[in-house]
Amino acid sequence: MRILAFDTAGNGCSVCLWQDGQTLALRTLSMSHGQAEQLIPMIAAVREDSGLDWQDLDAIAVTIGPGSFTGLRVGLAAAQGLTLATGLPVIGITTLEAYARQAANAGYRGAILVAVDARRDDLYLQPFHADDTGGLRPLAAPLAAPVEQVAPLLADWGITTATVTGDATALLDGIAALTASHPQAAVDPACLAGLAAGRSAAEAPAIPLYIRPPDAAIPQNGGQLRPDVPHD
Amino acid sequence: MASPNSMSLASPDAMTPCYILGIESSCDETAAAVVRADAPCGERVVSEVVLSQLEDHRPYGGVVPEIAARAHLSALQALVAEAMQRAGVGYGDLSAVAATGGPGLIGGVIVGVMAAKAIAMVHDKPFLAVNHLEGHALTPRLSHDVPFPYLLLLVSGGHCQLLVVEGVGQFRRLGTTIDDAAGEAFDKVAKMIGLGYPGGPAVQAAAVGGDPRRFDLPRPLKGRPGFDFSFSGLKAAVRRSIEQMPPGPLSAQDKSDLAASFQAALVDSTLDRVRRAVRHFRANWPQGTALVVAGGVAANAPLRAELTTLAAREGLDFVAPPLKWCTDNAAMIAWAAAERLALGQSDPLDFKPRPRWPLDPDAPKARGAGAVKA
Repeated sequence: MRILAFDTAGNGCSVCLWQDGQTLALRTLSMSHGQAEQLIPMIAAVREDSGLDWQDLDAIAVTIGPGSFTGLRVGLAAAQGLTLATGLPVIGITTLEAYARQAANAGYRGAILVAVDARRDDLYLQPFHADDTGGLRPLAAPLAAPVEQVAPLLADWGITTATVTGDATALLDGIAALTASHPQAAVDPACLAGLAAGRSAAEAPAIPLYIRPPDAAIPQNGGQLRPDVPHD
Repeated sequence: MASPNSMSLASPDAMTPCYILGIESSCDETAAAVVRADAPCGERVVSEVVLSQLEDHRPYGGVVPEIAARAHLSALQALVAEAMQRAGVGYGDLSAVAATGGPGLIGGVIVGVMAAKAIAMVHDKPFLAVNHLEGHALTPRLSHDVPFPYLLLLVSGGHCQLLVVEGVGQFRRLGTTIDDAAGEAFDKVAKMIGLGYPGGPAVQAAAVGGDPRRFDLPRPLKGRPGFDFSFSGLKAAVRRSIEQMPPGPLSAQDKSDLAASFQAALVDSTLDRVRRAVRHFRANWPQGTALVVAGGVAANAPLRAELTTLAAREGLDFVAPPLKWCTDNAAMIAWAAAERLALGQSDPLDFKPRPRWPLDPDAPKARGAGAVKA
């Protein structure tokens, strides 16, 4: 199985062409913005490096968030253009699962808490459990929460000890239940491809996972200076 | 309106039809269109689909950027597929792929640009990042083959400019708004009065049967030198008029009178600027023959009527593209790309989407100008 995988939802822009567990070509850049400029030339370069044609590929894998709203849209819109132009299916993977998978692949077992920087006052979080063979299952749905809620949340989930991983581990220093830490700077696109290889586009659609609603307030009385129905 | 510089834009191989896919996502419409550049006027737009996000933004009384960006991403793929299917052409048959590259709400612009770049890369076609304003500015050539140069009044929710269009990529900005765009003023005033969103059609409808003389509103910049616009003082005057009325809700007649008075002042003030620009244009570009209006506010009937009269009196043709091409659309993006492609232009795949992108970078900055929205 051959998969083009890329991630732009976090602090980087990375692309790989993957074939049955092997990385045929890889490009990565560290950046917090600017993915809209870099991504397509990087995809073109990776495909060229791999020596494969578009019709040789089986699928496209992309991160769907949570992460930077703009960053995840860069990747998802590129994936839309690619599927229109090639007919390849697009498989969406959450950044949270990708980080958990990377921690499990690095040998971490038991409870794994993934923490992704929301670039606000809070974090995107999801707890997983890695069994003895490295099989992962989520313990709760993804959510956004401020740092001070992390300890109570762990208690709610019945987690007494866990490994914290993701790009925001530094923000969770000092939480007693987090006995181990596996900081990661970015999603590895090869890991993304590996996750996508076992799934169909129907099981894992490339729909954005924002978690947070847009910032917008509905104006009082619709902004009308003299409301039609006077207030008491 | 045949002329030496009018179409059609020839394909490299005269036998191959020149199809261009255009994508627009810079404000609150997601749109895709396929244009055939080598077709005669009237047969150029092969397919076009537009999805308005009006209902998503209506409760907020204006466009919310993050809501718009999310809506563009959810709509884009299906719209492009539909435009291509209706056109009956494959991606490999295209001569180029174009998207609005700015100016506009950047979250939305990025969505269209990324999809267009990806399609262009896979099929090894030229990619064109089109200036949204150039799309509006060149629309009269799509619809009417208007020859260069022409005088353009571009009036929309995000822009209010007077431009001389000398050629593709060649614009001389005579004036712009120093504060709000005309469409923005319509929206804000409609909101204050309680007429709903979008404000343009709401104000025009409410003004029917209203007394345009009941409220004595200012005509900003009227009679002043230059060609700039200003609408924020007018908007503030409407606010003061409402605040000075006796307590309690506005009656239907109050609303009509306010709408009529505001609309009359806005049209009057705009016409004064256009009249000056027409005289300047005729004196300095004597070969020019047309006054063109584009942008969503071009739908305003009283403004259109006044512009028609003005053009006739000044000896210019008045050209207003069909309303569906005055508001944001993708046919204008594909067409502007066609015009640029015919001159051998295209853009690199690392093009950076641009929130701001003036048509005439040499124009002096208007005092207080800051509208970002496209």
